[in-house]
Amino acid sequence: MTVKNSLTPLEAQITRIEEMTSIEKLFYLKLIDLNTVKEFHYTPGQFLEVSIPGVGEAPISICDVQREHGRLQLCIRKVGRVTNAIHRLKKGDRLWIRGPYGNGFPMNLMENHDLLLIAGGLGIAPLRSVLQYALLHRNSYGSITVMYGVKCYSMMLFREEFLKLFREGDKLNVKFLLAYEDSDDFQCYQLSCERSDRCMSGLVTKLIESTAITPDNTYAVVCGPPIMYKFVVKELTQRGFTPAQIYMTMERRMKCGVGKCGHCITGSSNSIKYVCKDGPVFTYWDALKTRGLM
Amino acid sequence: MTETENNLKPRIGVFSLTGCAGDQLMILNLEDTLIELLSKFDIKSFQEASSYSENTNLDIAFVEGSVSTEHDLKTLKNIREKSSLLIAIGDCAVNGCVQAMRNKQTSIAERMIDVYGVEDNIYKTFEPKGVGEYVKVDFEIPGCPIEKEEALNALISLLNGDAPLIPDYPVCVECKLNGYPCVIIEEGKPCLGPIITAGCDARCPGLGLDCVGCRGPIKGETNAKAELEALRKRGYADKYIINRLRFFAGNFDDIQILGVKENSKGDK
Amino acid sequence: MYKKLFKEDLEQFTSTLKQFGSIYGPVKKTSRGCEFTELTDFKDLQLNYTRTMIPPKKFFLKPKEPLYSLNKDAGFKEIIDDSKTVLLGVHSCDINALNLLDRVYLNQFPDLHYKTRRENTIIIGVSCEPDDYCFCTSTGSSHALKGFDLFLHEISDSYIVRVGSMKGFQIITQNKHIIKNPSLTDIKEFKEYEAERLSKITLNLNVNGIQDILDLSFDHAVWQENADICFGCGSCNLVCPTCRCYDVIDYLKLDLKNGLKVRRWDSCMLKQHALVAGGLNFRPTRVERLYNRFNCKMSCSEDSLNCVGCGRCTVYCPADINFVEVLKQVRED
Repeated sequence: MTVKNSLTPLEAQITRIEEMTSIEKLFYLKLIDLNTVKEFHYTPGQFLEVSIPGVGEAPISICDVQREHGRLQLCIRKVGRVTNAIHRLKKGDRLWIRGPYGNGFPMNLMENHDLLLIAGGLGIAPLRSVLQYALLHRNSYGSITVMYGVKCYSMMLFREEFLKLFREGDKLNVKFLLAYEDSDDFQCYQLSCERSDRCMSGLVTKLIESTAITPDNTYAVVCGPPIMYKFVVKELTQRGFTPAQIYMTMERRMKCGVGKCGHCITGSSNSIKYVCKDGPVFTYWDALKTRGLM
Repeated sequence: MTETENNLKPRIGVFSLTGCAGDQLMILNLEDTLIELLSKFDIKSFQEASSYSENTNLDIAFVEGSVSTEHDLKTLKNIREKSSLLIAIGDCAVNGCVQAMRNKQTSIAERMIDVYGVEDNIYKTFEPKGVGEYVKVDFEIPGCPIEKEEALNALISLLNGDAPLIPDYPVCVECKLNGYPCVIIEEGKPCLGPIITAGCDARCPGLGLDCVGCRGPIKGETNAKAELEALRKRGYADKYIINRLRFFAGNFDDIQILGVKENSKGDK
Repeated sequence: MYKKLFKEDLEQFTSTLKQFGSIYGPVKKTSRGCEFTELTDFKDLQLNYTRTMIPPKKFFLKPKEPLYSLNKDAGFKEIIDDSKTVLLGVHSCDINALNLLDRVYLNQFPDLHYKTRRENTIIIGVSCEPDDYCFCTSTGSSHALKGFDLFLHEISDSYIVRVGSMKGFQIITQNKHIIKNPSLTDIKEFKEYEAERLSKITLNLNVNGIQDILDLSFDHAVWQENADICFGCGSCNLVCPTCRCYDVIDYLKLDLKNGLKVRRWDSCMLKQHALVAGGLNFRPTRVERLYNRFNCKMSCSEDSLNCVGCGRCTVYCPADINFVEVLKQVRED
């Protein structure tokens, strides 16, 4: 059988691994087959199905912006059978990927607007790709505000990168704000001493409460644990954001990634969504129309 | 084999508490692959296979049998302390199995009188329970006895560093995947398939027999009341159904609470 | 295009189908009925049957199938079953169900395994023998307009054969000597037989506007009542001709290098269906899963309902949950 199967995983090599926290690592990947490299395009918010032969597959969102063809970064939390196996891999090892899948964020639609990126925990991974995209096309977007909620300093992802933005973001018209849950965290406390308006103890919603943000000409982009959306959306709508101005990316069991296996189906009969194919990026308006999406 | 090669292998032990040792036997019955399989482990204890036994720290302990005596409990706690992973193999270790069929129904004293004619608990036994009642269990491989294929796949997963995959869906799924006619619907047989953990590839219904529940109910998902209702409708008496449910699952709360309806008279 | 085939010529006709692939047809298996089975003896063929337990989707999306052989160093190699098959005696509801599966499996990301078998299978429809569980007239699936190569509409001594594809035309051409043209009497009889068949489908489910009703009735008591008697066993999904959920599992051999990636049917009634790594379950309770299943069946893909009214989920539910009855209770009409 010589027919090309677009669902067959492609071979990729790990070119670098950075340990980010006790449970999260950043993997730099390079596609091996040069023929597939040219066809491999991804946009912020899309995800891959990552395979370890003999163990299984897991959906992972891409966390950087496409710069070079065939290279990408994945921030992976050790949380299940497959991600545990991925964490055992070393530089030079191979894994297999399918994708990219999903709709991604509407980067074109958001052009010439201010961006408000709100992330909790690992939710920063897909938003980092939005941030990088906007920075790469800096003139196409207005001011950028990032609100990032973490448990504590040691759980902060992309720490160096973000601390740089925290301190020097203004040069790029980027405001980087940090909220930390563990009020005893000394390093975060030090950051809050450095800039009390940019780092505070509490949940990410506290940053929204204590920052002057307006919905004018702004898109909010949200990603975090499911519980976070309700609270963030409440804050945003209170500030006048319309449901169509709020984008969020959803987690589900996305086994196939292409709207077939059915695990990510959500909604009621008048609006059924495959999160993998119709999403994972949805507006709050989609969530209002689709029972159980948020 | 060099000492270093041996050191890289997972150190394992296979232990028996109260039970028939049938699960150990099933591992030994993996004839086609046994030699290759066992050569991948550094076996420190395996009662059914060898008299050699070493009381040492283990990477993985496989425990079969229920906890029904002080001695079982002491042994189990010792195994747990010495092992990184503890895996319950077989229904006895998972949930007490047939030994638990009268739990919370008849007292130990009553049983002593029935069996030995004395009330004194001379063997210091208590109601048989799965090992998970007493120590942390990392994985469970159900079955009475365990399925060879499933055990082999679990061992392969462990060797590869992965969690074993054990079904958490009922036998009905395997009947449908195999296209076996439903013995409840076609023949009104008292099949327990709808609530019993799959993994046997619907062995009994595949032969036209009703599932007796030897792999135990699916933890956290068993609708025992529905099973009682479904079999009542097909003419079975409450006592018969409850005994059938208790046979392999006397320790399950939702089966223990099932009461015989007054005047329940099935014709079967 | 319509032709005519005498019933007495069916055996001869069937024997010529062998050159197009292995023939599968309804063969009596249990007291209740037939299953699609490889036809080794023409006498086993039971074209007058009500429904099979397992729908013909099993030929395209197999209950269990290895998708890839895998190797830790070399990755994945497709295992494709490209054997030729003829399905003889498929009902309209099941053909309509396959048309629905096509929309999922042959879309933007076609499933090569499904596609290969769809292309390698000839489908010959046959008129059905409805019973009290059939409600295909309610779901708009009592007639198949496409998705078959030939369709045998039964009349007294023969079949009116509708030719649905070039492959079907080829079969007809090869059987020229036994293929006739329908007469005016045949056409009259066809109308009578169709009316007779349709008159047997008495169960009715009003699906008009059911989507709004279901969305608004998410906390209706009927869901919990049925969840209380439901096993969550998945039988309803597994016998459903339009259910297409699957799971994929990697199996490794003892060499820890080679293995198989295997696909099997899954069910949204099983507790791990919406469970993600880390333990979060998006449909943790049986009542949520039950509500989801009914909603999925009553949702539309490209204006076609995802239910073809075959009645299997009701017939094969060990808890006797009646699909149509539940929806009628929700509608309260």
